[in-house]
Amino acid sequence: MTMLQVRGLSAGYGAADVLHGVDFSVEQGTIVALLGSNGAGKTTTLRALSGLIPARGTIEFCGSDLNRRNAAQRVVLGLAHIPQGRGTFGDFTVEENLAAGAYTIGDKRQVAADIERWYAAFPRLAERRRQQAGSLSGGEQQMLALARALMSRPKLLMCDEPSLGLAPAITEEIFEIFKSLNREHGMTLLIVEQNADLTLQFADTAHVLESGSFTASGAARDLLGSEAVQQSYLGV
Amino acid sequence: MSTWNLRYAPASLAAVFALGLPAFAPDFMLFEFSIAVSYGIAILGLNLLLGVTGQICLAQGALFGVGAYTTAILNVSFGWDPVATLPFAAIVAGLIGVVVGLPALRLQGLQLAIITFGVASAFPQLLLKMDTLTGGVTGLATDQPMAPKWFPGSQEVWLYGLSLICAAISIVVVTRLLRGDTGRMLRALRDNPVIAEALGVNLTKGRLAAFAVSSALAGLGGGLFCILNGFISPQSFLPMKSIDILIGGIVGGITSIAGAFIGAVFVVFVPGFTTDIDPALGGLIYGLCLIAMMMVARQGIAGLRIEGLQKAVLGIFRIKGLSRIPGSVPGQLGGE
Amino acid sequence: MQLFFQLVVDGLASGAIYASLALALVLIFRATRIVNFGQGEMATFSAYCAWQLCEWGMPMTPSFLVVGALAFLLGIGVFRFVIRPVSKAPVEAVVVVTLGLFVVFQALSLWLWGSDQRAFPSMFPNVGWDLLGVRVTASAVGIVGVLLGLAVATGAIFRFTRLGLAMRASAYDGEKSLLVGIPVERMLMLGWGFAAVIGFVAAVLVGPRLFLSPTMMMPILLYALASATLGGWDSPLGAMIGGLIVGVAESLGATFLPFIGADLRVVIPILVTLLVLLVRPVGLFGTRTVVKL
Ligand SMILES: Nc1ncnc2c1ncn2[C@@H]1O[C@H](COP(=O)(O)OP(=O)(O)OP(=O)(O)O)[C@@H](O)[C@H]1O
Ligand SMILES: [Mg+2]
Repeated sequence: MTMLQVRGLSAGYGAADVLHGVDFSVEQGTIVALLGSNGAGKTTTLRALSGLIPARGTIEFCGSDLNRRNAAQRVVLGLAHIPQGRGTFGDFTVEENLAAGAYTIGDKRQVAADIERWYAAFPRLAERRRQQAGSLSGGEQQMLALARALMSRPKLLMCDEPSLGLAPAITEEIFEIFKSLNREHGMTLLIVEQNADLTLQFADTAHVLESGSFTASGAARDLLGSEAVQQSYLGV
Repeated sequence: MSTWNLRYAPASLAAVFALGLPAFAPDFMLFEFSIAVSYGIAILGLNLLLGVTGQICLAQGALFGVGAYTTAILNVSFGWDPVATLPFAAIVAGLIGVVVGLPALRLQGLQLAIITFGVASAFPQLLLKMDTLTGGVTGLATDQPMAPKWFPGSQEVWLYGLSLICAAISIVVVTRLLRGDTGRMLRALRDNPVIAEALGVNLTKGRLAAFAVSSALAGLGGGLFCILNGFISPQSFLPMKSIDILIGGIVGGITSIAGAFIGAVFVVFVPGFTTDIDPALGGLIYGLCLIAMMMVARQGIAGLRIEGLQKAVLGIFRIKGLSRIPGSVPGQLGGE
Repeated sequence: MQLFFQLVVDGLASGAIYASLALALVLIFRATRIVNFGQGEMATFSAYCAWQLCEWGMPMTPSFLVVGALAFLLGIGVFRFVIRPVSKAPVEAVVVVTLGLFVVFQALSLWLWGSDQRAFPSMFPNVGWDLLGVRVTASAVGIVGVLLGLAVATGAIFRFTRLGLAMRASAYDGEKSLLVGIPVERMLMLGWGFAAVIGFVAAVLVGPRLFLSPTMMMPILLYALASATLGGWDSPLGAMIGGLIVGVAESLGATFLPFIGADLRVVIPILVTLLVLLVRPVGLFGTRTVVKL
């Protein structure tokens, strides 16, 4: 089943468009990678999808037209977006961050249970539950951002450059978590990355974005080591 | 509101208007315009300070008062010719302005605004306290410079001419300051003080100099005001005066020279107009006017251009995105 | 020494009033980075409404509750119809807009009720006690008690409720809040509503002390601005403590500093604030400097 269907998506900041009509879809239960070099428009794509910036084109998510929903409503529909650079609330404690992540969940018991569940999955967060998020290490913050996004019980999790500023071992750990979320919980993921080699090993399908348009799309294993991917990173 | 800009039409329009005014305005109106010019000079000072160097002073009305009292005291107690006191009004206010500006070396923005507004609030009390010098509540009445016999126009035209000369001098001073290296240094104070300092700009000197010039202009305006009015008392320099000057600056266009005088005309005339519309509701209409003005002319009147005006008028009827409330998608705000 | 403690008690009572208006200002500032110069006049307007209801024969408590609710709607309405349309405008324009609110509400009170002073009912009984020679009135205790109540209530809402968490999040970072599904704009609107209610509480405390008049809150506004600056513009706790400091300093200074005296007392909050800022430019409890106006 197609979870997210995007057609002719254009978006930008002010006068000029950054994205020039991209089309793609995300199937339920898959991991989709969005690759591209600096300034290609990856973040812009996610921001348009989550409603942070206005966009043209159609975005259909689980049967509803997202253009008619604002950012907050899209979260209720099951769309979660972990922004580039984590986006945790630095002044809040770890636990408050998780509680804020569950804003759209009305059931208090479910929230409490979810918090415990993610503490169990990320013991490092459990140890620091009263600590300010801003004082966590980069890897811990990324885990917190992930756990916070999961608190809203999303259907589709979008993550912007999870590897940014992390040591390779930590990055690998994060990707393993993605994989297990996908395998064990059937979570659908849309991952934006510059680290193409690693991402393509985990993803099912991938799209390569260059100056606001796709230059290659296909199964991840086909793109692994392909010329299109190499080129887009060499900036040819 | 990127640059201090003389190219705009408002400048030339305002100049033509100002020079042609005596030909058709009745004397009483000319008097009010002269008063507006005296405010305009003080606003010009604020525009230099706030619009160019990015520092706020909410004591501009008090410094205006310092100038006015300097003129009055020199005239009443020492018998000076009122016009001859004007340079001293500027100098005294400039010196006091440097003292008022001292906190600006540590504080900026909101904090500086509140502190300087405190000065404005204390000023009338201070005048009352120093009543041997200032005449206390009764105030001071000064001589008016009389039009010479050869002058064909009325006394009001003569005083209006004096006001325009003061305004012209102020404008020349400000435009010269904004040219070349000095201008670049002043702008750097606002745009990036850290880099400015790294490039060898002396921040302390620059900031205080800006305060000095701005306050001197306020003092000149105040001295002129005293001459025009012929009488001053602490009532003329309540804290709201500083707020009026700020409103004039912003409504006219905080980065524009012509805007300073346009804004002055606004704060001098519009409250009167709205009271004429309805005496009881005048204040209400004026307040709504202020709010509406800022919805239409966000950069002030001098920042309006024809196509800008069109867009602004259309904009009121359309829901717009919000920058202070980030991330809301335009057109979808009403959706939730 | 007795005089000293008497002045401290008096200062705490007026300080509590500055503190409540400062709290209203800070709540709005934290959420929207706007200083609402019209806050005091909005509060005066609400106090007049309460007075009017009492005049019409409604008992005090219900009329205060009714007007409290009205003040909430007033705050929301002002945000929705006045502030939101200019939220994209430069900060200077927003300053003029809130000054416009100041003018509008003062004129409105003047138009509806005239400039005559009116006696405003007090919530507290007119009694007092002698504690070691220091006279403590029920109204002083009551005013400080109301402030403490406000402090505990806002603190509890912010710390322990989902709504409070969402409001804090919206104030901290609007975009991140949207991403977790918080309707940021609604939170900001609620913030304006709550602030208007707190402002109304301040006016209700001032009313019996000064008589009701359209310009009643003007001097209080300056003290409240000083308190918020002293405490730090992003800290509600700072605003409250700042208010108490300003109140006590004013009361002591006016008596013990002969060159200042009663007529120049207005400089005291400014001097105290300046002293604090010179040591700590962000205010006692502030965390960031406020660069913009
Ligand atoms: N807030 C903004 N205002 C104006 N232009 C922007 C803004 N954010 C991004 N851009 C521009 O949009 C283009 C695409 O930026 P985007 O952030 O989508 O790139 P990206 O693919 O995420 O790059 P990176 O890997 O560096 O994060 C860039 O040219 C950038 O300069
Ligand atoms: Mg990016």
